[in-house]
Amino acid sequence: MQFAYLRRAAAGGAVAALTFVGAGIATATPAYAADSKVSVVHGIPDTPVDVYVNGEKTLENFEPGDVAGPLDLPEGQYDLALTKPGEPIEQAILTADDAEVPGGANISIAAHLNADGEPTITPFVNDTAKVDAGKARLIVRHTAAAPAVDVRAGGSPVFEGLTNPNEAKGDVDAGSVSADVVLAGTDTVVIGPADLNLREGTATIVYAIGSAEAENLSVVAQTIDGLHSAPSGVPSGTGGQADTGLGTWWYALAGTGILLLVAGGARAAVVRSGRR
Amino acid sequence: MTVVNRGALAAVAAGAAALAVAAVVAVVSRPAGDVGAEQAAALASPTPSSTGPAVAVVPGALPDDAEPVRPVRLRIPAIGVTARVDPVGVDERTREFDVPPSIDEIGWYRYGPGLEAESGSVVIAGHVDSAEQGKGAFYRLRELAPGDTVTATGEDGTERTYRVVAREEYDKTKIPLERYFARDGRPRLTLITCGGPFDADARRYRDNIVVTAAPV
Repeated sequence: MQFAYLRRAAAGGAVAALTFVGAGIATATPAYAADSKVSVVHGIPDTPVDVYVNGEKTLENFEPGDVAGPLDLPEGQYDLALTKPGEPIEQAILTADDAEVPGGANISIAAHLNADGEPTITPFVNDTAKVDAGKARLIVRHTAAAPAVDVRAGGSPVFEGLTNPNEAKGDVDAGSVSADVVLAGTDTVVIGPADLNLREGTATIVYAIGSAEAENLSVVAQTIDGLHSAPSGVPSGTGGQADTGLGTWWYALAGTGILLLVAGGARAAVVRSGRR
Repeated sequence: MTVVNRGALAAVAAGAAALAVAAVVAVVSRPAGDVGAEQAAALASPTPSSTGPAVAVVPGALPDDAEPVRPVRLRIPAIGVTARVDPVGVDERTREFDVPPSIDEIGWYRYGPGLEAESGSVVIAGHVDSAEQGKGAFYRLRELAPGDTVTATGEDGTERTYRVVAREEYDKTKIPLERYFARDGRPRLTLITCGGPFDADARRYRDNIVVTAAPV
């Protein structure tokens, strides 16, 4: 795995809360935009919920650690509300009004704890650009009530100083890697280690959830596939024995034929006209 | 008839003969051409996904380590091929398909579908030949015709039989590789090698030969 260059990516993981402005610009939506794919990630420990979208119950008894979707949602503004299972929407424990969903994007909405341990909702725009052949995308999101962390693979840090509610990402060689999460700049492991099987042509999104204080830090993962690219070519012959082209000898033969025809014909014509 | 005139007529005859030979050679050595291109395209068209009204909810577990069933041997009776299949990826530098260097072995694209896959293209590529080792396992791939059978043995011991539906030849700069390396569409087996005119200086063929086979 080549993780060294990923450290740079860790810095720029900030995601705007509840306004998808960045994505709106990035996708430059045409007059009628494609639907967006919207997933919902539950990262609040010990709190099953019902999820309402625009006042309609969309998910029932949604358990912590679960991922729902993706839903196909047209571009627009949405009101989100989370209630305890079976309770009316008026008693929602968490709401987000006028959440902006741009057209043609892939979004994950995470219900999680902020750095101070309060429940909150953060939308993330998922990078679904194609990865090169042989590569996989790893995205790590800090959605836990915990201080800044480093993410390590095979013992060495790949994402450093990641804070709630931000993400770090990078494209790496596909394959399995042992990963863990430590407090930033220390060797104090707070999550893991766990084997991460990063499949080629997919994005694996890992959310750190829970609370350091409550000692229930863990992870939720979401996978987006179909991001693969074909190899750049299939070079499979260097011998030339199967050559179906016409060699230089062919052009020589054809050229000689034409020359003989023209020269011979001209000569015959000259001789005949000379005799008259 | 003068001697000069006879000589001129002989030259015309020789010229005509040379052109006739050249024309015959050109016709005979013309590539066999494409067959079944439409069938191959139909297999590659995306399968409609069945999205019910309910929202799918899954545990957010880390990806499992399930591996696809890899082919270990390939048999094509019509062209006398029985070859070992190695799992291969892409060249680190060029990102090209990493065809096994030994011309007796052929390579399965390990990032794509395995034999058990219910959709997508299982890709196996092999050398047509090599400058050092001579004719490769896929030397006669261009002779395959619709209806010929291809049998792949998986590492699970199961033999799966496919029937050739298409053989196509593409300039390497124009081949729609994303279609042949697709992970959606009907399940199919795609065999690839080189062909067409050979550039002796660059030591490379201009074209790729692609054979598409569907499960029987």
